[in-house]
Amino acid sequence: MVPIIEVEHLMKDFKIAKRETGFAGAIRSLVKREFITKEAVKDISFTIEEGEMVGYIGPNGAGKSTTIKMLTGILVPSGGSVRVNGIIPYENRQKNAKNIGVVFGQRTQLWWDLPTIESFELLKEIYQVSNERYEENMATFTDILGLDEFLDTPVRQLSLGQRMRADIAASLLHDPPILFLDEPTIGLDVVAKEKMRTFIKEINKERNITVILTTHDMEDIEKLCKRMVLIDHGQKVYDGEISVVKDRFGKIRTLVVDLEESDCILQLSGGKVFKEEGNRYWIHFNRDEVSASELIAQITSTHNIKDLTVEEPEIESIISRIYQEGFQDLPNPVKV
Amino acid sequence: MFNYRVYWTFTKKSFLRSSVYRFDVWSRLGSNIIFLLMWGSIWTALYAGREEAGGVGFEAMLTYIVVSQFLTGVNGAGTPLWEIQEKVRTGDIALELMRPFDIPLRYLFADIGSVAFYIVTALLPLYTVLFIFMDLALPTDWLTWLYFVVASIIGFMIRYCIEMSFGLLTFFLVETGGIEDIFYFAMSLLSGSVIPLWFFPDWLATIALYLPFQGIYYIPNAIFIGEIAGAEILVSIGIQLFWVAVTYMTLRLIWNRASRKVVVQGG
Repeated sequence: MVPIIEVEHLMKDFKIAKRETGFAGAIRSLVKREFITKEAVKDISFTIEEGEMVGYIGPNGAGKSTTIKMLTGILVPSGGSVRVNGIIPYENRQKNAKNIGVVFGQRTQLWWDLPTIESFELLKEIYQVSNERYEENMATFTDILGLDEFLDTPVRQLSLGQRMRADIAASLLHDPPILFLDEPTIGLDVVAKEKMRTFIKEINKERNITVILTTHDMEDIEKLCKRMVLIDHGQKVYDGEISVVKDRFGKIRTLVVDLEESDCILQLSGGKVFKEEGNRYWIHFNRDEVSASELIAQITSTHNIKDLTVEEPEIESIISRIYQEGFQDLPNPVKV
Repeated sequence: MFNYRVYWTFTKKSFLRSSVYRFDVWSRLGSNIIFLLMWGSIWTALYAGREEAGGVGFEAMLTYIVVSQFLTGVNGAGTPLWEIQEKVRTGDIALELMRPFDIPLRYLFADIGSVAFYIVTALLPLYTVLFIFMDLALPTDWLTWLYFVVASIIGFMIRYCIEMSFGLLTFFLVETGGIEDIFYFAMSLLSGSVIPLWFFPDWLATIALYLPFQGIYYIPNAIFIGEIAGAEILVSIGIQLFWVAVTYMTLRLIWNRASRKVVVQGG
């Protein structure tokens, strides 16, 4: 395997003007401004190999976008080094641009006022894609993404789902070896999300495109990525397989029981009620300490169970627990 | 590594885009005519029946106004200042920075596209009619026309470089209302677009002559009405070329610093 992205001790500081409050403060800040330095990215290192699909996640303000912007070359790092496909992005932004495709869920790269096809033609010229390759790619993308429904519609009249499909096709027109996806499924409905994921999976597999995926939708990560890099406060807190996190944190399961009576006080060894609603009870238990059947037996000895389910821990609830409770218990990063 | 086809595509696409906003073309043309009528009546009143003022005849003055409005139409159809501000403000500039092209050039070529559309569909028809039916002092030899066209194009380039430089200041300032005011003030007064330089008090005329703005309106216009003639024409075009070089280098300098100092809004 060949590393295609190498990030070493990457840092980025921003200077932010300190706003003073009140009228006097406003006047003062006209003349003299104080700046505070915010370290958006403190010290991040990772390598990504060719053809990998990596989830790059973290809470809002963790430094995800800042990192991506340094990888695309639009931000200059304050320290450390970045190398993308052998190029230092900020030193050679235009050359780097040819190696990457970028999709921002929140913005569009298409020309707002022109029919969608015009943007594709513009990109064809910008990246100097040959006629044959352009036709081939358009045929493939049209096939999978159904672009033909709206190629003649101005971009501003597209639905969000259509726009996202057009945007991802646009980002791949020049066959970039690397694709950055920043929240590619944001705002999409379930069906559209599913289509988008299928497409991403397919191009990753068939074209061996390296994908870095930033998202808050854990289902994206779970369905698409084997590996995730988790960051918080500008630092890497986990880097490794998703299944490892799932195993470690997934030991905590949830048993949901519907009892015949409400307002029961359940005293269970190995389990803890953390939520109740009417006669439904949610119980956390550690599957290494107690099995679900032992727990159920404990309950049935004193109460009648009408219905029950054991919930698999979803990566989403795991991550939200990690965000809230901190990272101390995380397994050591598998890769450094 | 200049690839002319990449940039030419921008010209074509923005030509096309302008055609989407036909109402915009008509409203620009409407306001252009209103300003033409306004300046026309103001100068008619100022001349008050006199044949000559400041050494320039009434007919020549009227021509100056018409040509000036024509050039305003040309230069006003390009809007790099506004566009770059919008892109920086919304953060969309990030997407442009991730492309394999040079941003100042990309906007120049896009500008040429929208200006060309406006010239072809609105300005040329209107001003051809005006030139034919109004009593104007038109150049009699084709060489003057040629000099005028050349000087106008160079003027366009100067304006683009200056406007884009001002636009790029958005990278450093974020809030740019004041900068914009300075730009539009200099553009309208110091360029001689509404008052020809020969009516300026000496001190102001001297200032204007040492600034690039006169190259945008005053020089092509004065060539057109014969105020600048003979060997002076080439000297004036030389001055314009000097300013293109200076403003272009300034633009590049600002761009180099701006692109290293990207603070993309949000996320």
